[in-house]
Amino acid sequence: MKAHDKKFDPDDPRLTAFALGELEGDERADVERLIASDPRAATFVDEMRTTAGVVEREFAAEVVSASGPIGSSHTIPLSHRTVSARRRRRVLQAAGLTAVLAGAGFLLQRTVVDLNKTATSALDTPVRSRDDFTASAPKSAQVDGRPASNAVVPAAASIPVAATPPEWKREAIDNNAPVEESELVVNEGAQAAGTAIGVGVSGSPHPYSSRMMAGRGAAAPRVAQPSAGVVYDNGEVRATEGMAFERAADKVSNTEGYNAIVENAFKLAAQDPLSTFSIDVDTASYANVRRFLNDGALPPVDAVRVEELINYFRYAYPAPQGDAPFSTTATVASCPWAPAHKLVQVGLRARDIDMTKRLPSNLVFLLDVSGSMNDPDKLPLLKRSMRLLVNELDGRDKIAIVVYAGASGLALPSTSCNSKAVIEHAIEALQSQGSTNGAAGIQLAYDIAAKNRISEGQNRVILCTDGDFNVGVTDQGSLVKLIEEKRQSGVFLSVLGFGKGNTKDSTMEMLADKGNGNYAYIDTINEARKVLVSEMGGTLFTVAKDVKIQVEFNPTRVQAWRLIGYENRQLAHQDFNDDKKDAGDIGAGHNVTAFYEVVPVGVKADVPSVDPLKYQQPTAKTSAAYTDELLTLKLRYKAPEGDTSQLISTPVADSGVSWSEAPSDFRFAASVAAFGMVMRKSANVGSFGLQNVVDLAVPEVGDDVAGYRREFVALVRKAQAIEGKPKVR
Amino acid sequence: MNDPAWIDAALRRWETPLVLYATKVCGDAERARDAVQETFLELCAADRAAVEPRLAAWLFSVCRNKALDMRRKDSKMNTGDEVLTERSGQEPDPSVALLEEEQQVRVLTLVERLPAKQQEVLRLKFQGGLSYKEIAAVTGDSVGNVGFLLHVALRALRERLSVKGEVA
Repeated sequence: MKAHDKKFDPDDPRLTAFALGELEGDERADVERLIASDPRAATFVDEMRTTAGVVEREFAAEVVSASGPIGSSHTIPLSHRTVSARRRRRVLQAAGLTAVLAGAGFLLQRTVVDLNKTATSALDTPVRSRDDFTASAPKSAQVDGRPASNAVVPAAASIPVAATPPEWKREAIDNNAPVEESELVVNEGAQAAGTAIGVGVSGSPHPYSSRMMAGRGAAAPRVAQPSAGVVYDNGEVRATEGMAFERAADKVSNTEGYNAIVENAFKLAAQDPLSTFSIDVDTASYANVRRFLNDGALPPVDAVRVEELINYFRYAYPAPQGDAPFSTTATVASCPWAPAHKLVQVGLRARDIDMTKRLPSNLVFLLDVSGSMNDPDKLPLLKRSMRLLVNELDGRDKIAIVVYAGASGLALPSTSCNSKAVIEHAIEALQSQGSTNGAAGIQLAYDIAAKNRISEGQNRVILCTDGDFNVGVTDQGSLVKLIEEKRQSGVFLSVLGFGKGNTKDSTMEMLADKGNGNYAYIDTINEARKVLVSEMGGTLFTVAKDVKIQVEFNPTRVQAWRLIGYENRQLAHQDFNDDKKDAGDIGAGHNVTAFYEVVPVGVKADVPSVDPLKYQQPTAKTSAAYTDELLTLKLRYKAPEGDTSQLISTPVADSGVSWSEAPSDFRFAASVAAFGMVMRKSANVGSFGLQNVVDLAVPEVGDDVAGYRREFVALVRKAQAIEGKPKVR
Repeated sequence: MNDPAWIDAALRRWETPLVLYATKVCGDAERARDAVQETFLELCAADRAAVEPRLAAWLFSVCRNKALDMRRKDSKMNTGDEVLTERSGQEPDPSVALLEEEQQVRVLTLVERLPAKQQEVLRLKFQGGLSYKEIAAVTGDSVGNVGFLLHVALRALRERLSVKGEVA
């Protein structure tokens, strides 16, 4: 691949370099462009990364063989061994290092171990290759009556996993200094000596942890046998995650659940001057729509939430001033699908967080590892997504992993993100199996989050599921209650949806909503990157909560109005000032955009009216009604830890801006809104069709560094192709 | 004489990867350990300020030279390439779903079938955690060549590890 050649070439070493994070600058940008434009390249890079992961993992698990080279077919004579050992000791003494090394218990001590082995097992069985080890490691959860007392590695309470290591391995463990800490043991030193190390949590101690719990180098328990229904060996996961990434488009079944959306209708400003709704920063619907279109089908209308489509994109709203958590912008211009009407764009931009100054995070991933998560676009994608996030975190942050399936269990106790290797191992060892029972899982996740609570930081449970959130004996209601309760204790909930064919969209959105979190649907690794990495601030760091918008229209200017989208975010008008009423939260870096379609006074509008009232007259207008103000925009929000809301109130005038004079972002956002309405088969968009959307969107693609807007245009064209008959007004 | 705690930490972190790597270079685990030992002795006397920022690369570089010396000194030893290629191990029956431990053997077996040069860069990259540039400094290849070797090696592994038709 030459610098400007955009064709995918599997012979190009830069693809590997990119997969390994070795590319920078232009070369990296080139490959990123290629990946965005060619799914084969994306798949190839993913597979190379997966392969690299497999190799890295196997290398990490490799141990120094007790006798001879690894997998060797020849042994070194004992005499040589002894001489070598003696010579080694002399070298050490000569260097005056004896004290150092003996204290550390490493080289010198292992020499002794070597000699012991030579005298016992190695002599009896000269060839101790990996194959021997495999054959001699029984698959049982017993410890062979030989507890390695000085290498206590407690496994997670509900996951007693153990395996009997071969003779020499146990000796090696017996002969090495124990590595023990009370809460968290992440000592890489033990690796060097081949000691099984692990992460200590309360629960019955086990001499050997599963490999997932142990750090690198703890290869002894290669064979792990589940006793609580949670399997932590890797063969099967690797099989699905590894290289077979076929998309099973034919697997789409009809169990996806979407709540019906009744589109907001026009209302007369004279009779209904108020519009009240909660903000919504979710973007899951866009990814879901994209999934349908990429699979060659139009999305069901109720899967299209227009506001989530619009909010998928970033718009250049001004940064908030001073300590304000967000800025507000209102823009008025003419409406592309009804030129006599006006579009009012309300934009919120949350504060960005300087990642070097960000708050620490205490994250507990609650992972669905039920059988239904086995598809390549579920658990394997989730694992890759988590790796992306872990890479962004550091020693300030803690991650824990709780899994739920037939039983729930702790796959990774809360671990500092300095210990990336430990976390990676835990992620790698995840495997899907069994049916779903979320009740115990979510309780455990919340318990861990509470136990590791960071008072000056973000505490969050991140539920990752394909939607089968079975709460066991308890009902949905008590689950919601639990989530709300925990929210008050400062532990929030975010939901990441995976997979298709089983996506209970409405449940997941509702759960995230109750937990002060957001809901995102992850369909590709690019989406994971967007949600977890690019917008990590947004996904994880709330800058304001319970953000409500109320707009009062001026009936002398506005005849009728309609809110586009946000159908399931409507609030009662009196709830606007009621701080007990929950609403949407806004996270760092988030954009929120809402459009009103407004019919100005004097324009013919087909809006049903009611009869004039018999007993009262319309109230008199205030003097403000006779200004050029179109509406007043009011916002209420609370600080993330606050209970009392603050009010922002801004009048908005119509300065008569035409479509062509409108800001580019306004026009792009409007084109996305139009697309959503077309996909929803909305009557409000009239004869406006997909070709019109393309015509609106293409000139506004702009710089589009990340390629999201270009992808949007491509998606609209895909929808056109599926429709088969491009509509032109 | 450098701070024992620092040497100790380096030992803890790098001893095993170095021994594994040196074993491949000199073809003998015992000599590999000697090479690693001498490497750490050299570290004790090294200029810490100069070494610390690129500790891994330094260790692998020194260790490689020591291991190569050992190999040269011992005329009985095989050449590295022969040592690296003679252990082909047994092919698991592809018709049987692989158990995890078998798969680990298989991955390493596949690695061991690659040309010695590719194995070396794989180890430096994934066991040593070195960057392309650091690997190039250790092996004396160009950065581009390192990238090419890793690409070819990973691509071969990707194809050979491909589980299609082998595992349900």
